[in-house]
Amino acid sequence: MAQPADAALYATGEKVFKGNCASCHKPDKDMTGPALQGARARWEGKGDIYAWVRNSTDVIKSGNAYANELFTKWNKSVMTPMALSNEEIDAVLYYADNYVPPAPKTPTDGAPVPAGEPQDVAFWPWMLVIGLLLLVVALSLGGVRKSLTNAVRETEGRGPVPDRTAWQSFKDWAWHNKTFASVLGLLLLTWGIVSAWDWALTIGVYGGDTVEHYKPEQPIRFDHTLHAGKADKGNLAINCVYCHNSAEKSKHAGIPSANVCMNCHQAVGESQRNPWSTAEIKKIHDATGWDGKAYTGTPKPIEWVKVHNLPDHAYFNHAQHVAVGKLECQECHGPIDEKMDVAEQWAPLTMGWCIQCHNEKEVKMAGNGYYDEVMARLEKNEKLGHRELKEYLEDEKITVKELGGWECAKCHY
Amino acid sequence: MSSTKRYWQDLAQLDQATEAIQGRDNEFQAPLPIDEMLADKGLTGATTGRRDFLKFLGFGLGAASLAACETPVIKSIPYVNKPEEIVPGVPTWYASTYYDGQDYASILVKTREGRPIHIMGNPRHGINRNPRLDKGTINARINSSVLSLYDGERLQGPMMKGAEGLTATTWAEADKAIGGKLAELSAGGKRIVVLTPTVISPSTKAAIAQLRARYGAKPATEGQPATGGAQVDHVQVDSISYAGVTGANLKSFGLRVMPSYDLTKADVLVSVDCDFLSSWGSTTEHAWQYASRRRPEDGAMSKHWQFETRMSITGANADERVAIKPSEVAGAVIALHDAVARKAGATAAGGGMDHPQLAAAADALWAAKGKALVLCGSNDEAVQVVVNRINDLLGAYGSTIDLANHTWFFQGDDTAAAQLVKDMNAGQVGALLIAGANPAYSLPNAAEFKAGLAKVGLTVCMSTHADETASLCQWVCPDHHYLEAWDDHMPKVGRYALSQPVIRPLFDTRQWQESLVRWSGGTGTYHDLIQATWQGALSARADAATLPPFATVWQTSLHNGVYEAYTNANTAVPFAGDAASAAAMAKKNAGAGGEWELVLYTKEGIGDGRHANNPWLQEMPDPLTKVTWDNYVLMAPSDVKRLGLQTYLGQESPASVVTVAANGVELQLPVVPAPGQKAGTIAIALGYGRGANGEKVGKAACLPNDDGGTTPVGRNAWPFVTLVNGTASMAVGNVTVTPAGTTHPIAITQTHLTHMDRHSVVKETTLATWSKHDPKGTYNHQHELAVHEDVNEDGAIDARDRLPVKEFDLWEEHAVEGVGHRWGLSIDLNTCTGCGACVTACTSENNVPVVGKDEVRRSREMHWLRIDRYFSSDMTKERAKEEGLGKIDMYLDMEVPSENPRVVFMPMMCQHCNHAPCETVCPVAATTHSNEGLNQMAYNRCIGTRYCANNCPYKVRRFNWFNYVTDKFADVNPAWSELGRMVLNPDVVVRSRGVIEKCSLCVQRIQAGKLEAKKAGVPVADGAVETACSAACGTGAIVFGDLNDSKSRVARLHGEERAYMALEEIGVKPNVSYLAKVRNTEETAEAHHA
Repeated sequence: MAQPADAALYATGEKVFKGNCASCHKPDKDMTGPALQGARARWEGKGDIYAWVRNSTDVIKSGNAYANELFTKWNKSVMTPMALSNEEIDAVLYYADNYVPPAPKTPTDGAPVPAGEPQDVAFWPWMLVIGLLLLVVALSLGGVRKSLTNAVRETEGRGPVPDRTAWQSFKDWAWHNKTFASVLGLLLLTWGIVSAWDWALTIGVYGGDTVEHYKPEQPIRFDHTLHAGKADKGNLAINCVYCHNSAEKSKHAGIPSANVCMNCHQAVGESQRNPWSTAEIKKIHDATGWDGKAYTGTPKPIEWVKVHNLPDHAYFNHAQHVAVGKLECQECHGPIDEKMDVAEQWAPLTMGWCIQCHNEKEVKMAGNGYYDEVMARLEKNEKLGHRELKEYLEDEKITVKELGGWECAKCHY
Repeated sequence: MSSTKRYWQDLAQLDQATEAIQGRDNEFQAPLPIDEMLADKGLTGATTGRRDFLKFLGFGLGAASLAACETPVIKSIPYVNKPEEIVPGVPTWYASTYYDGQDYASILVKTREGRPIHIMGNPRHGINRNPRLDKGTINARINSSVLSLYDGERLQGPMMKGAEGLTATTWAEADKAIGGKLAELSAGGKRIVVLTPTVISPSTKAAIAQLRARYGAKPATEGQPATGGAQVDHVQVDSISYAGVTGANLKSFGLRVMPSYDLTKADVLVSVDCDFLSSWGSTTEHAWQYASRRRPEDGAMSKHWQFETRMSITGANADERVAIKPSEVAGAVIALHDAVARKAGATAAGGGMDHPQLAAAADALWAAKGKALVLCGSNDEAVQVVVNRINDLLGAYGSTIDLANHTWFFQGDDTAAAQLVKDMNAGQVGALLIAGANPAYSLPNAAEFKAGLAKVGLTVCMSTHADETASLCQWVCPDHHYLEAWDDHMPKVGRYALSQPVIRPLFDTRQWQESLVRWSGGTGTYHDLIQATWQGALSARADAATLPPFATVWQTSLHNGVYEAYTNANTAVPFAGDAASAAAMAKKNAGAGGEWELVLYTKEGIGDGRHANNPWLQEMPDPLTKVTWDNYVLMAPSDVKRLGLQTYLGQESPASVVTVAANGVELQLPVVPAPGQKAGTIAIALGYGRGANGEKVGKAACLPNDDGGTTPVGRNAWPFVTLVNGTASMAVGNVTVTPAGTTHPIAITQTHLTHMDRHSVVKETTLATWSKHDPKGTYNHQHELAVHEDVNEDGAIDARDRLPVKEFDLWEEHAVEGVGHRWGLSIDLNTCTGCGACVTACTSENNVPVVGKDEVRRSREMHWLRIDRYFSSDMTKERAKEEGLGKIDMYLDMEVPSENPRVVFMPMMCQHCNHAPCETVCPVAATTHSNEGLNQMAYNRCIGTRYCANNCPYKVRRFNWFNYVTDKFADVNPAWSELGRMVLNPDVVVRSRGVIEKCSLCVQRIQAGKLEAKKAGVPVADGAVETACSAACGTGAIVFGDLNDSKSRVARLHGEERAYMALEEIGVKPNVSYLAKVRNTEETAEAHHA
């Protein structure tokens, strides 16, 4: 593919384009606004393209015929005025005219690395190989020992060792090493009980360090890393609450309704990021009944599989933690924006996990009139208030637990 | 000395019968079939060894428990296009209006994810708004109506009558057939009648007008000849008739209406057989108005006399109550009239009843001239004319009675209804379209109505159920539930209100007004018609030009639920009736009562019977009798004893059944002894015995019986209602009552009647005593305990060294006092009318299960909030001392209520003791104290020992004996069915079997309120958090708030001199306080302990 002649100008143009124009225009395709390729040529002799970019309304009002034609053609939607210099506009137009579409990504070509540290993946096979080797060594050593013993006995004229089962040998050995065997037995028993207990604690737990995370297959292969991941890694860095917009208002963070997806995907109908991307976007279009131009079909709600399932008797409220506690989503949901191309339950969501956090987390009191009142009452109360306050402030912070965050009826009602 | 007492198990043992003695010694009285079992060869031949069996068992258990660990896959389906106003997890409230022909209220409907789950009164708008407290008054019937929406026995589509009863059809078919038939009838000049309860909706009237325009005969107009057609009539009939009252107003003032009453202006209030707080007139207005004059701290307390037959809620709240017979009502009214007339210099009618309290009441009325009010519940026009004359003489018109802004309620015309039934039987009615009424059940002459119905050419019923009337009609075109429908209302002159749908229709139903529009040839919706009606009315106004645009008016009215167009000046209207002849007529109508007289009434829960399908209301204890799931004969305890009937009702003591006969009607009902009932009279509640012929009127209307079928709850008493002087009379004379010799189990929640002089439970005094402002010395004595130190510093340690109970403590002082929040309630026994709206509000908010009659009978009702009702007793400690009675005799006498007792209602819920006895006995710490003063209950920790319930001094803890969400409770518990569980509050967990539950002080609302404050960054404002009970209490008796907020209302009320803690002497330090009951009487004698 041909490279632009003036790479510097092209780069400037790309930067300005992405910062100002990309939400409505594409260089090579019509979007909310027209494709910018050939815009200069189209305006040639019809008016001042710079004035048009900076304030289209004025140009329309001035009676410019082409401006009015454009205005009517694009459903009378007004372009946001852009405070750009002539040089910047030149750069953008240069970029658009010389636009090189990115090559479609192939798996070898910078596909996202699968989640998990590499050594984690390689650890198990190595252990297995070493274990097998050791077994082979142990067996051969056993054979050698047996042959040697038999050889010695033969020289002493006692005949070969009588054939005994492994179990008989083990019993003999245990009988001769009573202390060692019983200590070993006790240790094994303890280990068994402890592991059984640990295992029992993981029943019904689908997140955390000790169990495999719950990661159900979803009807749409939605990739959190692409949408919420950092911009410097080529991702879109959309704020979590743009889609999960009830997280600050409600107990539910809210799975976004399909019309929220369509805010972008009405325009972004295809993607080359993954081979399947366009097909997955199509599913949103099907769900909303979008045929590429208008909503004509029957809406079909998307049946997502719920990932985080709290038991009915535990009440959890997102707004309390996000809006008041000012927690980052990642504190409970893990590196969802960096590693989870498929959403998974990261935290164990056990009561132990909840109250551990409540025990440590400091209440974000600053600037909140509600907590000012709490503190004022503590300070005002001569006897109890002062006693409690002293206890609270022993570690120089007031934790959630100290304000009642460990009480039953904070979560169970 | 050894005890000589001997105990025996039963009478047979006492008689030393041989079998009994032998039986006593054998643990298993019937021989056990051990030999037979061992003789079974199959046992020895079995190949499965015992060990194998145990192995299989172990494996099976293990496998089953492992299999149970599988994660269930839960789907989560978001909206495709989320409506802007819905945020999942956050409730959305809509203003609407409840009107069913009996009750009216502006309401707020709480919806979650599009499902209505709770109803409260509109605190900002409407005639039921208590402006002094910013509360909307409702009653239990109104806030429970949300459950009726999810009744699975509602009709799910149009039906037509075929050979095999009702069969499903389609709307298109029904419209075609009905429209065709109407046109045919119209062409034949037949009469078309629309039969409804009182219609207060201007748009409904417009819809009926459309029907008339389409099918009615048109008189000749200019350029148009007269056309033939049907006579289209609209007949209104109220199940509970007020035709006598409205008729009297027509005769007295030329207005056939119910006036507006203003009880806030009434210094003296005399009610003759009028239950205006619960079942007469605009109760949601009366309740808050009445209560606003019942707090002595808020200015002059009103004085209320009640003359009545049965103890009503209103009578229970009265200062002076006199029991009279129904046949004496006219006499009492005439006596009041004559006494007032004599003072006013007007003519007395003569022949009134002679009673000192009537004279006292008349004196007080006259003294409060201009601020007095007489109300009478009689439906006899003549009596009401006399009442109007009294009020006229007292200057009540223009003050406590407002005719200029009268209501539009109760326009029913008994004469027109009676004529309609006659015409139907004479074959003169071509079509009968019935909506909102159930005449085959509730008309006084229902049998004739049913006979006439068969002779009507076209019968269409537009009810929600295949009820008594619908099942007899040719077409059933089911109506929406009111929460699915649009409507407008005109409760009073100049006052308008809107109802709006809060959910999409659950079934294939259609609003009945829209059906009328369709049959009239219209294509629009009823919503269009309402807008057109309003637009027309607004543009017709003289000041139309100054009004905002219609869209603005509509949006604002929809948001507020009301539109207040104008208020007229309340001016006096001259009385134009003839009191003397009315008095004579009234006496004649009253007649002689005979040996027994009967009054018919409606209960707070079920009303006129339209709520019989509502299990919340069926299980709500009647405020006075505390009986659930039944109607019964109320009889004075002395009469019960005289007839030799059961006087004590309990789990093992069923009620005796009597046969009541009058006017050729016979009914067998159980007898419930009712203190305060006039001797020689009985009372029976209407509204029961629904679905007696197997009609599907809702599951809760019938209970399963032993034969595997169902039996209606209660018996239908409507046939007793007769027309007297053209109006339906609720009083019946010459009744015979004969014991039937059978019994009937009664589910009653409070078996004790009095508080047996335990004044630490209920404190009561008179206004005269209260006015001395010496609570500690008189009625609000604080409990003290003797101590072993010289606290009074008189040099000796003796019985005079006492300290108040609050000085004693087994526990460390609890950290909630003065630190953080401390939530609490204040409950005013004076303004609590006992209506029970809080009970059903709590049921709705907290997913309290309904357990059914059989379980309630076993004292297993689950209500978190109950209202204890205490009758006064004639016996006091002082009197016992005077009469030299022994302690046991004294307490036995104290258990017996007075013949005409005083009543106290005491709402009782978890008192959230700061030193809670329940918390210390829980072996697993399932119930603990929060630092906000709440007594918390963690259901999943509870192992069901019930120690806490045993140790609770207030007996407010409830145990889940069963998993109520199983088909065993399918008939009663709404949470059981897919449809019914939509009413559950998703913020409150549904409890399972084996755990204790109790009032949480609506902790979910507290948490939500705190969260709102935290998000806004402000302290929790007083009133920002309301419990379900306090929000439902329009009279303001229950007040919730933060006791640590010194400026809060609840903190101020806790400090009032009437405030006390129930059972203060046990030192549990509740966060709930009560305000002592004050009666407006002159007596100062205190019935208080020594």
